[in-house]
Amino acid sequence: MHAFLNKIRDINGNLSQRFFAVWYRNFRVWLKFYKPSIIGDILEPLLFLAAFSLGIGKFIHYIHGVPYIIYIVPGIIASSSMYAAAFEATFGSYTRMATKGVFDAILVTPVSIEEIVAGEVIWGTTKAFMSGASVLLVALLFKWIVSPYVIFIPFIIILNGIMFSSLSLFITSFSPSYDFFSYYFTIAVSTMFLFSGVFYPVSALPAFIRFFVYFMPLYHTVSLIRLLDEGKFSPLIFLNLIVIILFSLIFFYLSVIFIKKRLIT
Amino acid sequence: MSEFAVKVENLTKTYDSLIALNDVSFEVKAGDFFGIIGPNGAGKTTLLKILYSFVTPSSGIVNVSGFDLNSDYKKIKNLLGVVPQEDNLDEDLSVFENLMVYSMYFGIPRKESLRRAEELLGFFDLSEKKRAKVISLSGGLRRRLLIARALVNGPGIIILDEPTMGLDPEYRHNIWNKLKVLNKSGVTVLMSTHYMDEAERLFKNIIMLNHGKIVVKGDISDVLGDRYKRGINETRSLEEIFLDMVKK
Repeated sequence: MHAFLNKIRDINGNLSQRFFAVWYRNFRVWLKFYKPSIIGDILEPLLFLAAFSLGIGKFIHYIHGVPYIIYIVPGIIASSSMYAAAFEATFGSYTRMATKGVFDAILVTPVSIEEIVAGEVIWGTTKAFMSGASVLLVALLFKWIVSPYVIFIPFIIILNGIMFSSLSLFITSFSPSYDFFSYYFTIAVSTMFLFSGVFYPVSALPAFIRFFVYFMPLYHTVSLIRLLDEGKFSPLIFLNLIVIILFSLIFFYLSVIFIKKRLIT
Repeated sequence: MSEFAVKVENLTKTYDSLIALNDVSFEVKAGDFFGIIGPNGAGKTTLLKILYSFVTPSSGIVNVSGFDLNSDYKKIKNLLGVVPQEDNLDEDLSVFENLMVYSMYFGIPRKESLRRAEELLGFFDLSEKKRAKVISLSGGLRRRLLIARALVNGPGIIILDEPTMGLDPEYRHNIWNKLKVLNKSGVTVLMSTHYMDEAERLFKNIIMLNHGKIVVKGDISDVLGDRYKRGINETRSLEEIFLDMVKK
């Protein structure tokens, strides 16, 4: 336990504002290639919204007394930001770490592995924010969200981005190849997308499946955003927040430890 | 400022059963043009990677400019310029951006970075390629940019791992000249190579590694002269000494 705390202390000691340079490098490159990124991160979730409001919404009118389109908006905000972070912190980070030698080049400078990981996580979060916030914006324009608590949703998108960037970077830290990410996206990401209450209340699921759902990080952001969207204040909010923060911290530290192991022999 | 740029004592690095470096000790004086020579797999890259904290030593002491590598590696990284063997220029950025973004990693203020980047592009004859994409550069130009990038922080010591490997004679000469100018300006150069003509031409002091051990150490003229005095061969080149050592 003592060794573990020391390790955490060491990691914290190696963090400074230098992570910003890592973030900036990625941002600068993104500016050159932003068009395809916008299609994936912003247009795709909007297509989901369009299909659900124009198509499925015609057959399913209400869930729990809420118009269907309004019901799924929180789920789409959470899942689109999850996907944006997950893609960036797997394929994007892996390319920089294993293929293009960007991490190696940075590591001979005073920037630490901790700062590289922090820069990558904040960059993944930036992509998540662009994605989630654009859905939020469209939902506000169409008055699909009217709660005054909506002002908190951007913060939840940021937390969701940090959590999924950390988790995804952890997968990247030991991934031997791009193909490996298929496991992550199928087993973890898609499962969460389909079973975390994005499209229907989790209460519809059999109890034994629900048990697993509570351990899915996405469930907690969907639940949190939905509570805010419905304008309800519930103590559950704190539980959701604690789970999100714990997931973020655990996978951030694990990413640092594993990437260090991978890059420094 | 320490008299020694680098001081290595009893350095050993083992990977499972492989001994990459075996009890290596040497010193590099400040301002030296120091060469690490040896065949492929002798441990040259491992040694250099230890100096820039990519490889952790199994045992031994490494001191760079008076700082202990174990405790002060962050300070050391500020003082070093590193030209790795694998070209890891940022291909998503232009020539100029490579230098500017790299300066940011060192936390150098933007104004200073701009001035330094222009100066380095000029010194390495890359000014015309300022806006070019890295992928559009020839191998020789990429290598020059890689060295320029290692100098953005104005390091007192530059470490180069086989910087002329695979280059044509013109580019090799060009890089030699640049390194000589840098060395004259006071920068300590620590460089590995397995080209013996290059070693004879550039280095003041050398160590020769074979199977992770130092087999020859000292002033290069002594190394050449020593063999001469022993009367083995009046016209022995470093290459012959090298082959001789490797055979043992």
